[in-house]
Amino acid sequence: MTAIALSHLTKSYPRQATPALADVSLAAEPGTLLALLGASGSGKSTLLKLIAGVEAPDSGEITFDGRSILRVPAHRRGAVLMFQKAYLFPFLSVAENIAFGLRVQGASRATIQAEVRRMLALVELPGIEHKRPAQLSGGEQQRVALARALVTRPRVLLLDEPFSSLDPTVRQTLQEAVRRIQGELGITTLLVTHDRGEALAMADRVALIERGEVLACDTPRRLFERPPTCRAARLMGVTTFLRGELAGGWLQSRLGALAVCGPSPREGRATYAIRPEQIRLRCLPGPNALPARILAQTFRGELSEYVLQVGDATLRVQAFQPVAIPAGGELFVELPPEHLFPVCDDEASSERPL
Amino acid sequence: MRGANLLVTFRAALLRRATRAVPGALCIALLVGPIVALVVYACSTRWFFPQLLPAEWTLTPLLRQLGSPQTRVALRASLLTAGVTTALALVLGLPAARVLGLWRFRGRTLVLLILFLPTVVPPLAIGMGLNILALRLGLAGSLLGVVLVHLVPVLPYTIFALLGVFARYDEGYELQARTLGAGPLRVWFRVAWPLLGPGLTVAALFAFLVSWSQYLLTLLIGGGRVITLPMLLFAAVAGGNPTSIAGLALLFAAPPVLAIALAARALAAGSAEVGQQY
Repeated sequence: MTAIALSHLTKSYPRQATPALADVSLAAEPGTLLALLGASGSGKSTLLKLIAGVEAPDSGEITFDGRSILRVPAHRRGAVLMFQKAYLFPFLSVAENIAFGLRVQGASRATIQAEVRRMLALVELPGIEHKRPAQLSGGEQQRVALARALVTRPRVLLLDEPFSSLDPTVRQTLQEAVRRIQGELGITTLLVTHDRGEALAMADRVALIERGEVLACDTPRRLFERPPTCRAARLMGVTTFLRGELAGGWLQSRLGALAVCGPSPREGRATYAIRPEQIRLRCLPGPNALPARILAQTFRGELSEYVLQVGDATLRVQAFQPVAIPAGGELFVELPPEHLFPVCDDEASSERPL
Repeated sequence: MRGANLLVTFRAALLRRATRAVPGALCIALLVGPIVALVVYACSTRWFFPQLLPAEWTLTPLLRQLGSPQTRVALRASLLTAGVTTALALVLGLPAARVLGLWRFRGRTLVLLILFLPTVVPPLAIGMGLNILALRLGLAGSLLGVVLVHLVPVLPYTIFALLGVFARYDEGYELQARTLGAGPLRVWFRVAWPLLGPGLTVAALFAFLVSWSQYLLTLLIGGGRVITLPMLLFAAVAGGNPTSIAGLALLFAAPPVLAIALAARALAAGSAEVGQQY
């Protein structure tokens, strides 16, 4: 098991105004799975390339177990990359593909045969040794790619959106398989993804990345429930932010006075946020409830989405129970004090202040 | 009823087969016809106008011609020139095509234009200029000089053939192999080579054929001291002996035909191995 530490990594590409990575520091504990969540172009794939050694950082340090690996060439780092495309060598059989890394190490034929069989059993594809990659489905190809990546017992497994081209059911079974195998083998793993659900479901810790910066890094649950900053909260799906003056447990915002609870930051200017599914819709006024009008609603099965007009602002709400009020109807939104949490306002130009 | 139906089906099938067979047969006739004529010429003596077929068949002049030291020297010079030119064209063309095929950079179009200029400008114009250069460098009349001047038309065609290969090439395979622990040499031989093999074969074939059929450039730079098969052939054509012309022409056509056949086999085997994915 290997601990990975990245400190103050920067990387710029020529003819690109903004750096791909700006002073990134992160750490992954031995045997854990760290997810890097961010939109495309946020620099998360660049980070994997630097760790794999196929590209070099402009400055900063990468260590495995405290030892710098920047001078170690890619093929000696023991960091295997897996991409969205399986990249199975089309001219080799499944068994030969899996054996690729072992051949490189000069393993004996008996070892190779045994290991190939063991890995195929591990990825739950026994008996396909002699098939050609072209004969496999997309999900099967990724499983074989996983077997090929793990057979050499790499120190670090780097996954670059390996599930994003698969259809949802296959994706889910493969996510579970990777999580199970990663846990069994105890390989320190970095997973790059733009899928919030995938990051939350698979990771021990999630790092939020935006424009080459790490916004936050925490356990999935804490990051989901209490993202520390506005930008982090937006990446976690929060759309409602309330800016105002905090005094005596009350937030004076443009929408009116709202009670907040919990350990409050210092009095004065403050920003609070609330998750869209924690906002309640009700027909009658009550504490922390504001009059609202329905602008649009979308039924999404498990939940329904509402766009509401509150005063001169719009609010997005997700309700598990659809309300029987048509668009244009009047109702009240309740922002329960226990679900309002303070965030550090890191957005210079406030886009949707309430 | 059934019989009539069957007859209709049979006639339709026959028609379909005929429409498919005729173009094929025409192609084969056009390709094989001249060679048959050459074979007939080469194996005969005394074949005069009204006769449909030669009066006398003999292999003696053909064998004598093929066995003559002059022919053997020319054959060796031709094979050596085309072989070395092909090897050099691949060594130089591969990195160039990789950069031009995979990267997009400013000035790429200009580089391509300059690269293909020699194929557009008449060889006589190029040859005259290069002749002066070769004389100054002391390369005129040497095999090395001939090889270098052959590269002028060969390299563009090689790079052109390789460009198509790299346009469909995904460097991800190499990246993947590197992170699996393969060093640069192993990546090249175990990953890039099998993926690029078929394209390289075609490019090598192109290079060989273009070099093999050079006459003017060989004459200008070789200065009559490097005698390749095309030069013997031109001399024979000027001489006007049909048997001798036919014999040399057959000899001249044999290596390219052999090369094409071998390349076709390699490509068929390669595509069967790679399967549908590539």
